[in-house]
Amino acid sequence: MSELIKEALTIGWPLFALLASLFIYSIVAGKDAAAKKSSMFKLFIGTLGACLLLLAIAHYKGSFYEANRMLPVSLVLITAACFMLGIYFPNHAALLKIGGFMFLVAAGLSGYGNWLPQVEGGFPPKEEKLQYEAMTAQQLADEGEKIIFGGIGKNKEQGAVGKGQCPLCHAFHAGMLGERAPNLQGLPARAGKERLEDPKYSKGNPKGREFDDKEAFPGSGTAENGQEYIAESHSCPSCYVVSGYGVKGTNDKTSPMPAIHKPPISLSLQELAAVDTWLYLREGIDAPSYDEIIKSYEKFIPEADRPKQQEDKPAGAASALLADGTEPIDVIFAKSTCILCHTIPGIPGATGKQGPVLEEGTNAPNRIKDPAYKGTAHNTQEYIMESIVSPSTYVVKPFPDNLMPKEFGTKLSAGALKKIVDYLSQVKAGSPPPKIS
Amino acid sequence: MGRVAGKKLFSIMALVAMVGLLLLPIAVSLPSLAIGADAPDAVKKEGEQKYEKGRDVYYKTEGLAIGAPAPKTVDGPKDYPRYNFESRVLLWFANQQHLYYGSFVLAVPIFCMVIEFMGVVTKDKAMAKRYDQLAYDFIKISLTAYSLTAILGGILIFTFLTLYPAFFGYLSSIFRPVMHIYALMFVAESGTLYIYYYGWDKMRDGFLKWIHLSMSVILNVIGTLLMFLANSWIGFMMSPAGVDEQGRFLGNIWHVIHTALWNPLNVHRILGNMAFGGGVVAAYAAYKFLASKTDEDRAHYDWMGYIAMALGVAFLIPLPFAGYWLMREVYAYRQQMGITLMGGLLAWLFIIQATMIGILFLSTNYYLWQALGRMRGAEKYQRYIKYLVFILCCGYLVFITPHTIVMTPAELKAMGGQQHPVLGNYGVMSAKNGGINVIITTTILSFVWYMRGNKVSTVSWSKFGNIFMGVFFACAYVNIIWLAIYGYYIPANVRVGLSVPQVATTLSCLFFMFPLNSAMMKGAKQMGAIEWGKISVRSQYALIMLATAFTWMMGLMGYIRSSVRLFWHVNEIMRDNSPWAYTHTVGFAANMISFNVLFFWVSILFVFWLGSLGMKKAPVPAKAEVPGGAPQPAAGH
Repeated sequence: MSELIKEALTIGWPLFALLASLFIYSIVAGKDAAAKKSSMFKLFIGTLGACLLLLAIAHYKGSFYEANRMLPVSLVLITAACFMLGIYFPNHAALLKIGGFMFLVAAGLSGYGNWLPQVEGGFPPKEEKLQYEAMTAQQLADEGEKIIFGGIGKNKEQGAVGKGQCPLCHAFHAGMLGERAPNLQGLPARAGKERLEDPKYSKGNPKGREFDDKEAFPGSGTAENGQEYIAESHSCPSCYVVSGYGVKGTNDKTSPMPAIHKPPISLSLQELAAVDTWLYLREGIDAPSYDEIIKSYEKFIPEADRPKQQEDKPAGAASALLADGTEPIDVIFAKSTCILCHTIPGIPGATGKQGPVLEEGTNAPNRIKDPAYKGTAHNTQEYIMESIVSPSTYVVKPFPDNLMPKEFGTKLSAGALKKIVDYLSQVKAGSPPPKIS
Repeated sequence: MGRVAGKKLFSIMALVAMVGLLLLPIAVSLPSLAIGADAPDAVKKEGEQKYEKGRDVYYKTEGLAIGAPAPKTVDGPKDYPRYNFESRVLLWFANQQHLYYGSFVLAVPIFCMVIEFMGVVTKDKAMAKRYDQLAYDFIKISLTAYSLTAILGGILIFTFLTLYPAFFGYLSSIFRPVMHIYALMFVAESGTLYIYYYGWDKMRDGFLKWIHLSMSVILNVIGTLLMFLANSWIGFMMSPAGVDEQGRFLGNIWHVIHTALWNPLNVHRILGNMAFGGGVVAAYAAYKFLASKTDEDRAHYDWMGYIAMALGVAFLIPLPFAGYWLMREVYAYRQQMGITLMGGLLAWLFIIQATMIGILFLSTNYYLWQALGRMRGAEKYQRYIKYLVFILCCGYLVFITPHTIVMTPAELKAMGGQQHPVLGNYGVMSAKNGGINVIITTTILSFVWYMRGNKVSTVSWSKFGNIFMGVFFACAYVNIIWLAIYGYYIPANVRVGLSVPQVATTLSCLFFMFPLNSAMMKGAKQMGAIEWGKISVRSQYALIMLATAFTWMMGLMGYIRSSVRLFWHVNEIMRDNSPWAYTHTVGFAANMISFNVLFFWVSILFVFWLGSLGMKKAPVPAKAEVPGGAPQPAAGH
């Protein structure tokens, strides 16, 4: 309180000086006792009003930069001062009362704004253009780990996912789950030998391949070494599909993996160089040089398709969430990579066959009734939510358990989950899909 | 005779002068426009190698990148010089004050035009005189505020130049010709306004009055164009066009002006300014009413307050529809931007906006109910007001219930889900549409009651008319509420379409019931006069509430519109690298908006007070000339 009074005096000393002058003037110039008494009384009231006013201003000033629920008290103090002065200064009563009332209204609205939950938009991600070409191999590998897992040292953390989203399907260590895509442990050694020597790969003869795609683009040819194999598998996943990891029903001719340089992931060549360098270094193998890796990708990604390294745009890796719920539903499905494994009516590109078709408006009620169902859901919405955050609670036959990652509950915001549940609960077999919003 | 001819000559000269002033900016700016528009052709002749080609980020057309790229600013004294205070807040303050005064001085001449026109066409001479005096009073208030607007504009420019030189430099390099036209238009606006104001007495009657009226049209055309030009700057900042990805100007100034959001912004701002202007004038009238010492003054200012309120509310009703259009265009331009506004970071601010809209309608209704008290014969309606209060409160509470909002995991856990188990049902759009339409329909009903307060219809079909109106309103309420309930049982994509019949129902009440009521009240028997001035003091506080709420909402919506750019000076073109490139909390924004609102009102009340000092010194005119000197029963409202 003493601080507040001190601040009020600091701000309002000219006003108090003026009041003091008026006090002296009224003593000197007062003609009769009644007039003198009246003016002294008015001065007293004026001083009281000024004190209230200045205390309010000091309080307002002191807590201006905070979301302070007591702050509107300042405005109420001013209202009180105005109404009090209005009583004793009838000539200006209308002005003072109107002013006071406006302060009261503003106090109410300010109080309301401060009472609501306080959401602050944080600082934008730092604008930094990484100079990949000037990095050492270890620096490149660190950046690669950030892209894959979202941070340095996170590669053994279950559920750690970065901008590249690789761990959603791939495992990176022996013994870790990775049934949707090959475990990448030992890839650098495997790439140049087993893979290239596999007759199905049809090295040097792309036309002889039996996969959906023969070449990354006309004339690109096939890989000649291990690094080129990695580059090709990133940029043209369906040029060669490891046995057992194709889209169900395609006889391993189609890969469920998206081309990594295209949306929704869109890694630049520089970022891919960092990713690959980490794949080598973490196994204690010398990585090819930055230029060699870039060259290997240039062989399989035509210039027009190469995403530019981000400059002004905020880095996508800044958020730990795959989707924060502000995106439209089709983007949420794409960012969460649901579309790779599931067919979702109404969502462009959602033609995955690794998991069941998501017509949950029809499926969910039946599954809840299934005697094999041991979950806790009582309605469609609860079932969908349960399936996302705890996919092993009920596994739809004939799909295997543990195929779906279990970390979506922590990788999607509440808003994003809500949107997914809302959408899927409206998808019914035989009915037109709901509108995307 | 000679005097009349002289007056005519003077009027025509004034009109010609104004047309000249109107055309002057265009004539003067042609060369500067040419520099922007023709330069690419000239450059083409010299050789296209000199400039690279660029693709328009919005129109997708190709052009020569004759402008410099948007500067990549860094946090430091060069790009962001500063005092020991947040520069953004200083700019916010300067901008908001200029906007408040600017909106006011642009809106008031439109009122003057409407009221002066009403005065010219009305057959009742006494009413004509009162309307004319009212229009004159309005423009007098505006004139005092006009110079303050210009001063604040200067302060705003200096604030930009001194605190955000790199950004303002870039903006002025793009809008160079537009800024010159703007400055010249301001000169034209000033000239026209002064001729209009000082020529009032000279052109009071007959043909000259029509000339004077046409001047107000020209004044408003200039004012509106002026606002459109200023809107093009904020439109460009939100949804840039006419530049390439690097922000280089591609030579087509029309593309830069005519951005994705320019048109809806223009319409929204015109309506918003009018509603705001009505609020300010109503508050002025309320102040004068409360300060009045005579019944005559009270009568005049009561009437003035009523007219200003009615005009303000008339523009408030279409404002939400203009807002919907603006939001639709925002979504069409960048869906992400729309979601940030309505369902993301700024969603709580829209809850405040809903609260404000409710306050505006509640204040309007309260004023109308109080106004019934000055009519003899209106008692028959007053006993039903409690039911309207109940309906309005229900609609209001539903309307302000939030739905999908950003929550922390702790909040989510505490709530037990994304929605509250009970209140969550009222947060959905279906219920909200029902809520706001019930509020507007009730406001229309209050207006209808007010319009027939002291009258009894004498038309032969009055019984049928009353029953028809009653049934129409009852059906409207049933339809709105039924559709709101029905919305819970259908999918979201179908539910969205229900807002159309709901709004159509509300508008039907507005467009069918008002004319029907007017037809029924034609030649109606008056139960008693409207006793202007005999209204409760509380009603004047409702007007002040209305004005303060308008001002607050304007500040709020301006903040929302501006902060949706997040960390961009110019969306996706020029990044904000200052230390203030984050969005404040709702609480801070509310404090700042309150500060701006109070500063504006304290300053304008001071202006009103100064004006009243001047009036006291003016020679007192004859009693018949005193504005509102003879309170009269209004023939119509």
